[in-house]
Amino acid sequence: MTTVPTAAMSDVRTTTRATAPLGRVLRSELRFILRRPRTLVALAALAFTPVIAGISVAIAAGSMSGGRRDDIAGIAMLVADNGLILPIFVLLLAMPMMLPLCGAMWSADALAGEASTGGLRNLLLAPVSRPRLLAVKAFGVAAVSLLAVTIMAVTAILAGIVLLGGEGMLTLSGSTMSVPASLGRIALLTLLVTIQVWAVAAIALAISSTTDHPLIVLAATTGGIVLFTVLGGIDTLSWLHPVLLTDGWLDMADVVRDPLPADGLVENAFRATCYILIGYSLALARLTTRDG
Amino acid sequence: MSKDIAQPDSSTMLDDFPPRTDTSADPVAARTRGLRKVYGKTVAVDHVDLDVPVGAVLGMLGPNGSGKTTTIRMLLGLVTPTAGSVELLGHLMPGGANWALPEVGALVEGPGFHPFLSGRENLFRCAAAEPRMVTSDIPRAVNDALERVGLASAAGRRYRGYSLGMKQRLGLAAALLLPRRLVVLDEPTNGLDPAGTREVRAVIADLHAAGTTVLVSSHLLAEVEATCTHVAVMHRGSLVAQGELRELLEAGNAGLLVSTPDVPVAVDALRDNRMPARATPDGVHVDLTTTTAPEVVATLVRSGVAVHEVRRQRTGLEDLFARLTEAENTTARLSDVAEPQPSTEDPT
Repeated sequence: MTTVPTAAMSDVRTTTRATAPLGRVLRSELRFILRRPRTLVALAALAFTPVIAGISVAIAAGSMSGGRRDDIAGIAMLVADNGLILPIFVLLLAMPMMLPLCGAMWSADALAGEASTGGLRNLLLAPVSRPRLLAVKAFGVAAVSLLAVTIMAVTAILAGIVLLGGEGMLTLSGSTMSVPASLGRIALLTLLVTIQVWAVAAIALAISSTTDHPLIVLAATTGGIVLFTVLGGIDTLSWLHPVLLTDGWLDMADVVRDPLPADGLVENAFRATCYILIGYSLALARLTTRDG
Repeated sequence: MSKDIAQPDSSTMLDDFPPRTDTSADPVAARTRGLRKVYGKTVAVDHVDLDVPVGAVLGMLGPNGSGKTTTIRMLLGLVTPTAGSVELLGHLMPGGANWALPEVGALVEGPGFHPFLSGRENLFRCAAAEPRMVTSDIPRAVNDALERVGLASAAGRRYRGYSLGMKQRLGLAAALLLPRRLVVLDEPTNGLDPAGTREVRAVIADLHAAGTTVLVSSHLLAEVEATCTHVAVMHRGSLVAQGELRELLEAGNAGLLVSTPDVPVAVDALRDNRMPARATPDGVHVDLTTTTAPEVVATLVRSGVAVHEVRRQRTGLEDLFARLTEAENTTARLSDVAEPQPSTEDPT
């Protein structure tokens, strides 16, 4: 790194680098995302949800079913007695809509939102090359998604222990797991849920790269999730189900079975990974040809 | 207006970059050849061969929608041309963007900042992405830039609460974060009050004095006339004229238009007094390079010519601009009329 003295207006030093240090750009992107008021509101809502759920369960112990799938209803019954299953319950509750919407929102802001304010142009003119720009944006969305799911899991663990007590975890299979093993299962579900949110966010980022309107991204992603859920509920379309991202979301309740049935969970993660690759490939293809 | 054009020795800054494609003797900071951009069926820019000489302050003039911004966006690699080539600081665009753009400061299509961040935080974000910025110098660079555009006192306030002029200043500050070889300003005085406009002029003059090449687009003629050494005039997507401001201005001199019922008498009277006069459909046109308006009027009155009205004709850049753009309008209109109507050709 050489510094060149310049005769121009300021005595700010310059280097001859052709690209800004990656760490600096990533830090700047993260700071930018975390300064955004709506990010903070979303994170606060996600942190507050387990507390509300814990209080509800503590008050109305045993009376929760609400016509959901059997596994979910089963978990709700279990929650009443063991606090450590609250994180599992809350994460599965947030999986079908709440967390995917957050992922879609961050993707919408990352490219479409930036394009609508003109901030994207500033980055392109700096310059940040387009593949690098996508990498920075994808990193930001992935990081804040992981943060969101982790915050939810951690507050759920705390709320569960405080409100419902936490000596081990009663599984769907009837056995009881030790506290460390329970925490391990919670960490596993946190990771699996995060991968699913990343998949939604990747597709949303691809949509985000085509438009200047963040609302379109949010609407399209929500519509897609609803459509996939409806298709997933039609039995005559069972041949289609393996490619639907939403198909395995509720099966993730498998993490509270003993022993752990890995097949379905691995398939889920694999499917999400395919969506991530497709989403980022489409986003890259669009972003490299897009007018700035 | 006739400042000597400084040509900074920039070779030391470029040691680490790949060899440049610029081989011509006359150095240019930016050059386009046969530039064309088509959006759907609309031809936004066509056949633009623009040269921005090193060290010049080039004013890009044209009515709204004449293709100024599209040309600038192609110049900066934001938009890929439909046809033609762009060379920026010796690098072919858009492929050479990574090598050319670090030395270019730009304010294009208005400032693009985030409403929930303060002015200073917005600049920090821009600075973090600048390849040539030394990380430890970012706070100083940001403060210097804010100081330069007169925003230091409002730097901590949210961008949301900024006035149009303050937003524009912040955009200018982002372009000036680092010493640049080329600064591109698209409508920089949009929304600025007269004091702000003067400050922008001062900034451009500073940049020019430091040897920076400046490309400034505007539809405000006075602004360009006051700050630029070179002019490029765009009209309907084409470049209708470019060159040194002085040379272009010499093509059209200031004149006086006299309305009178006795045109031949007036012309004779003026010519007898060695004043260059000629009859025009509107009256008598007098060239003011060798004489002044009061002398013309005095001469006419002394000769007993009845004068209804004396009007100064549009002068300088405005005249030039009007001639370039209105001439084209007229031709276009004439060709429209000349074109036969397809429906009348068919007798059935």
